[in-house]
Amino acid sequence: MKRALAAAALLAAALLSGAAAPTFDWKLPPGVAPPPVPADNPMSEAKVELGRRLFYDADLSVDGTLSCASCHEQHRGFAEGNATRPGVHGTPGRRNVMGLANVGYLTPLTWADPGQATLEAQFSTPVLGDTPIEMGMKGQDAELVRRLSADACYRRMFAAAFPGDREGVTVAKAAKAVAAFQRTLLSWDAPYDRYRRGEGAALSPPALAGLAVFEAKGCPSCHAGPNFTDGRFHAVAAPAGQDRGAVEKTANPADANSFRTASLRNAALTGPYLHDGRALTLGEAIVGHWGAGDGFASGELAALDAFLASLTDTSFVRNRRFALPKRFCGAPRRR
Amino acid sequence: MRAPILFAVLLTTVAAPGLAQEPPSRPACAVTDDSSIPPELSGWKTRSPLAAAGTAGDVAKAALPIGQGVDATLKALADVAFPVLPAKPGGSVSYGGLYLLKIAQAGDYQVSLGTGAWIEVVRDKTLVESKAHGPGPACSSLKKTVVFPLKAGTYVLEITGNGEPTLALLVHRKG
Repeated sequence: MKRALAAAALLAAALLSGAAAPTFDWKLPPGVAPPPVPADNPMSEAKVELGRRLFYDADLSVDGTLSCASCHEQHRGFAEGNATRPGVHGTPGRRNVMGLANVGYLTPLTWADPGQATLEAQFSTPVLGDTPIEMGMKGQDAELVRRLSADACYRRMFAAAFPGDREGVTVAKAAKAVAAFQRTLLSWDAPYDRYRRGEGAALSPPALAGLAVFEAKGCPSCHAGPNFTDGRFHAVAAPAGQDRGAVEKTANPADANSFRTASLRNAALTGPYLHDGRALTLGEAIVGHWGAGDGFASGELAALDAFLASLTDTSFVRNRRFALPKRFCGAPRRR
Repeated sequence: MRAPILFAVLLTTVAAPGLAQEPPSRPACAVTDDSSIPPELSGWKTRSPLAAAGTAGDVAKAALPIGQGVDATLKALADVAFPVLPAKPGGSVSYGGLYLLKIAQAGDYQVSLGTGAWIEVVRDKTLVESKAHGPGPACSSLKKTVVFPLKAGTYVLEITGNGEPTLALLVHRKG
């Protein structure tokens, strides 16, 4: 099994390699390929720094109350602790906030939209979208540019991130910068990862037993590959409410109530679970899958518990490179 | 996952109270109804205006009465100097301010808010970690509550990321 997992990782690496900018230091462990990068948005430290600042800036919301980080909290694996999160006007959220660990490798990106294939394009959904209203900036592109341009440090950061471009601050460039930052949210240091890299002691005997249970019960048929998602849409939970899943975008009846397989990276931190956050615990989420009910022996459950806990990457949730910056352009932030 | 599962070991989500003030979604309410606000929050219904301070030096002029609600008059964030930077900064277009909390008796104190604004309680340049948070009663004007364990002494309440220049606010001792 260990060899099979290693082979899967190498295959993923081979499939994804070659697209990243060769000069960018991804700070990856040996043998792990960087995520693919669009040709029109090459990585640079300056762009990532800008994207990180924007990610934590509530000026991306209409009334200055919400940033990307309001819903994507680092200590939760960049997920959020509520079932759904209301937008700036109090409009109820529709779907559970997904974690962002290794999001640069994932496509499609969201619960139920096969068209959400790039982080650059996805930026507009929370910031400018209105189904539901999240950050509330629809029609406010000029205002967003005004806010950012009013800050001399931001002007310098945009110039450094997009050298040779004289257009100044634009929403499209903000989207590219945030996407670049998100691609650096790499999580490859969970005990499970260290085990895959040859540290046999990284997984406890119960976790190893849990890995065997995970494989034997067929979990990887959907929670597949290094990020534990096949990137496909499945109807695995009982319908609830008005959310019909991917069929809303595809109009294909086969996609009714289908949602993308969630990654299990940092799963112990990213609850609540399922597309609407109905499951408060991983146990509830598993039981919430179709067909659940009479499966594991108690020993197997404890082992599976240990295995899922081994997917938590504490260095990822504590990494200061991903945290709210303390300084901008060399000066301490003031608000 | 195709296999049937009875998962006896339930993994609970990890709570970090000091970093976990974000409010959950609630169904939209056609009418605001404060009748469900509990009696211990009676001060919520009889609020008086009180201007926030912009600096720690001025905060003595903005002492919050414990148990008595106020309609906080906040400042543009550019005019606020936080003693300790909030963990979640508001945007430049949002509002915030500082208030003084004089705690005579140690205990758990609940800060109740009419919006989802971010708050911190600071003493001697150190943030006090909250111990609980939650929404207000459904469809009421009280949107968010955060509980802090406080000892007797003087604290600064920092408010940031409020979308409007005013904010309904109440601090009361629990229990």
